[in-house]
Amino acid sequence: MTTAVTTTGTHPPTTAHAAAGAVVAFERVTKAYGAVRAVDDLSLVLHPGETVALLGPNGAGKSTTLDLLLGLKRPDSGTVTLFGTAPREAIVAGRVGAMLQSGGLMEGVTVAELVRLACDLHPRRYPVEEVLTRAGLTGIADRKVDKLSGGQAQRVRFALATAGDSDLIVLDEPTTGMDVTTRQAFWSTVREQAGQGRTVLFATHYLEEADAVADRVLVLHRGRLLADGTAAEIKAKAGARRIRFDLDGGIDEAALRGLPFLTALDISGRTVRIQSSDADATVYALYRLGVHPRNLEVAGLGLEQAFVAITEAEEARQP
Amino acid sequence: MSVLASRSLIRLELARTLRNRKFLFFSVLYPSLLFLIVAGQSGAGAQVDGSGLTVPTYMMVSMASFGALTAVLVGNSERIAKERENGWVRQLRLTSLPGHGYVLGKTASAAVVSLPSVVVVFAVAAAVEHVRLAAWQWLALTGVIWAGSLVFAALGVAIGYLATGDAVRPVTMLVYFGLSLLGGLWMPATTFPRWLRTVASWLPTHAYAALGQAIEQSRAPQAKDVVLLVVFFAVFTGGAAWLYRKDTLKA
Repeated sequence: MTTAVTTTGTHPPTTAHAAAGAVVAFERVTKAYGAVRAVDDLSLVLHPGETVALLGPNGAGKSTTLDLLLGLKRPDSGTVTLFGTAPREAIVAGRVGAMLQSGGLMEGVTVAELVRLACDLHPRRYPVEEVLTRAGLTGIADRKVDKLSGGQAQRVRFALATAGDSDLIVLDEPTTGMDVTTRQAFWSTVREQAGQGRTVLFATHYLEEADAVADRVLVLHRGRLLADGTAAEIKAKAGARRIRFDLDGGIDEAALRGLPFLTALDISGRTVRIQSSDADATVYALYRLGVHPRNLEVAGLGLEQAFVAITEAEEARQP
Repeated sequence: MSVLASRSLIRLELARTLRNRKFLFFSVLYPSLLFLIVAGQSGAGAQVDGSGLTVPTYMMVSMASFGALTAVLVGNSERIAKERENGWVRQLRLTSLPGHGYVLGKTASAAVVSLPSVVVVFAVAAAVEHVRLAAWQWLALTGVIWAGSLVFAALGVAIGYLATGDAVRPVTMLVYFGLSLLGGLWMPATTFPRWLRTVASWLPTHAYAALGQAIEQSRAPQAKDVVLLVVFFAVFTGGAAWLYRKDTLKA
């Protein structure tokens, strides 16, 4: 149904040269648990100022990738550098702020006390009030950390990640447990942070978040980088433009199937649905067939459908 | 920087501990209550065999040692195990706090709480049971019992990194009650049968209390007790450091 998608990133392959000035550089990193390779020969470079989404199904290696990135785990082989140094050095220098899904909170203290600690621990700290306000915690600053809802706890984690002026912010599934309104407010805060020239990397299950927030999307599957590009590029890569039109009179299915860049064809009655990896070229060729399509629509696939298509294609290649 | 960072963690650990009424009761008031019960049972002027000390004087040191032991051992081990499990330790590793800063913070705040538990037992003993000692003895006792509690703080850290989940509390309680009872903190080891007395004499808690009792007797501590404590301290600290490093690599 869809063509196989190859991994051709829009960014140059990792070399010593490309890694210079990089915020994050993975060079042929592998991490295995027993026979399972959670991260498999992964190379990638994040550049300053990028907002990058890390997408992947459960078990794709997202958490392990973030753990390696933050120096919480050590790779079996390959190297991970942040700002050209070991992850731990970058953290000690205050260049990285991170919230992990698995990151717990100190119990028995108030939100304000915990945020104050995070500020004290940051070499380039912000004032506590400012951090509380940004994370939307002013109203619950005096509440005990143990008494928070899931969404509130996530906001506290975000506050810990933004307690100082870090150059890289890492967010692991940050909006889990947040309601829709909070989620929107959260992303506008993240955009603001990114707007100040920071590099933001976030892992998410919500593909619309990647679509709306990230200017670069990494698709991870079985510990390998399956796709790397803008959300639009990823969609295109999955044959991700949808063309729909009606045809009067006879339909020459063979001719339609011969259209360039076509990845899927569906005919029901007089309505024809096509998926194309280059809609412009397909539509141009369609008219050259001499047919007269009516009610022509060209629309993008959602990133979600593109994502499913890409990972399914990969599954099909690796039985 | 790291000193400052550790300091603010210690401050927060302390604030949290001082808010925990249950913990304060067991580490600060409970040893004094036990002391009153044990000391009150003995007749006036009764002495602990072979020590030349009255029962209240002797048991004052045992219970002060017990209080300090409670403050540094029980709180540390359970907190560390829990915070390893809920991910707070991981979150702290994403800050500039040095790796040992967490353990340092825990130990330092436990040490601050163990001081009142020692002093309160002394105050109760002096006021209620009329225990009288020279000024230097009070000072030396406070210093020795307080410093000696570091041995058990290290043990608490080791248990916190060794046990997880449901196992922490039973393991801690077993070690805690076992060391307290067999070490003679609840009743003089001199009342034990001979074989148990031999076992007791090799326990760190026994050596710990013996240091204090030597001060009460105005004599130098036994070399065996000092060496025992030093060896146990080295073993517990080494074990804690090893387990901590293992945990860090795994997490």
